[in-house]
Amino acid sequence: MDFVLKHYQEGKFDTQNAIDRFNKAHGIVQKPRRRVMPWVSGIVAAAAAVVICVFLFRDSNQQIQLMASAEVQEYLLPDGSEVTLAPGSSLTYKKKSPRKTQLEGKAFFEVARDEAVPFEITSDGAFVRVLGTKFMVDAGSSVKEVYVTEGKVLFAKSSDSEGVVLTKDMQATLSQPDAVPVIAEEADVNSLAWQRGSFIFDKTHLREVLETLSDYYNVSFVADDLSKQLSGEFYTEDLDLIISLIESALDVNIVKR
Amino acid sequence: MSTAQHMDNFDDLFRYNYRPLCLYALHYLQDADQAEDVVQECYAALWEKLQEGTHVLNRKSYLYMMVRNRCLDQLRRKGVPTESLKPYDTYGIIDDDDAQERSQTEARLWTAIDSLPEKCREVFIMSKRDGLKYEEIADELGLSVNTVRNQISKALKLIKEGAVKIFTFLFC
Repeated sequence: MDFVLKHYQEGKFDTQNAIDRFNKAHGIVQKPRRRVMPWVSGIVAAAAAVVICVFLFRDSNQQIQLMASAEVQEYLLPDGSEVTLAPGSSLTYKKKSPRKTQLEGKAFFEVARDEAVPFEITSDGAFVRVLGTKFMVDAGSSVKEVYVTEGKVLFAKSSDSEGVVLTKDMQATLSQPDAVPVIAEEADVNSLAWQRGSFIFDKTHLREVLETLSDYYNVSFVADDLSKQLSGEFYTEDLDLIISLIESALDVNIVKR
Repeated sequence: MSTAQHMDNFDDLFRYNYRPLCLYALHYLQDADQAEDVVQECYAALWEKLQEGTHVLNRKSYLYMMVRNRCLDQLRRKGVPTESLKPYDTYGIIDDDDAQERSQTEARLWTAIDSLPEKCREVFIMSKRDGLKYEEIADELGLSVNTVRNQISKALKLIKEGAVKIFTFLFC
């Protein structure tokens, strides 16, 4: 009796909770998405299929690959971490070590805390290690990027090379010839626009605003006065709406090219 | 055996043994969250084995064995010396068979405490777990010492009855 009393906590060892957790965590159960974010490109949209490929190796060496083909996808990993994959990205891990992952493309992570087992992300030419936190890794292009919104993250070229430690609202990039990532003087909140579903501008020059938009949508713009400043939050769903809002707010003309 | 049957049995295996396994793991780890995690992992591992078609003869014993191994692994990882890798209760080392056997009773007790009326449980826990005196509990909760005393004896009575009832009907 004493042993039970000493450790008793209300609601702990709850069988139903445990069953729910088990059902959610074994294999991968897809969670309902928070926001619908149609990807910009005429063809995409509705039929976008999610592909979960499971490559069977022998028992615990089994590899699991999570993919987002044409839409942003959220997944819950077996350790309780959440990952949001950008379109065209994939995350792979072995069933026996779900906290050692390999990323291709871009993803936002909310890592469940486990001091004993750090969460690791390896990609071609970039390595990230964390205990529990929220951050984005963009390993899609030759310049690797990490953006941290919460917690503490180690970012390096590989697991045995020198790295930088990033904390809340810090961003660093690693270009191909460099050995150590470079911390940005000012983090660009719009690096996370795809995950948040919106752009945030704060007295941003129109020139930069249009650069952000053209990076995101792969279109270029011309405007008659690039020196004006814009503040506000704009949803990523509708580019034309953003453009017309900016035009009327700043009294400028913007033309897509 | 069809997959559906497979899962049915697995569900039972989960319901009947989850809490005892947690308490068993708790004897090793002394941490409720870690104990729950270990037990989850073991069910996951067993589930995978069954999915692969592996025949597991005595699933319950197999679960206990897995839980034990994982607890030991975890303690080793934390640098606990080999001679101290033993299950403990409040008074000291107990042996593994004991811990297995007791986990059933302890799980029933845990369930009985869980099912106490809320206020009654609060008073009971403050007294027995936190070691507060009747006067201190009365002060904290704005009750009379007499009420505190009554609630505690009510809790003890309910637990005694509850543990018996739960034992008869199985718990989940």
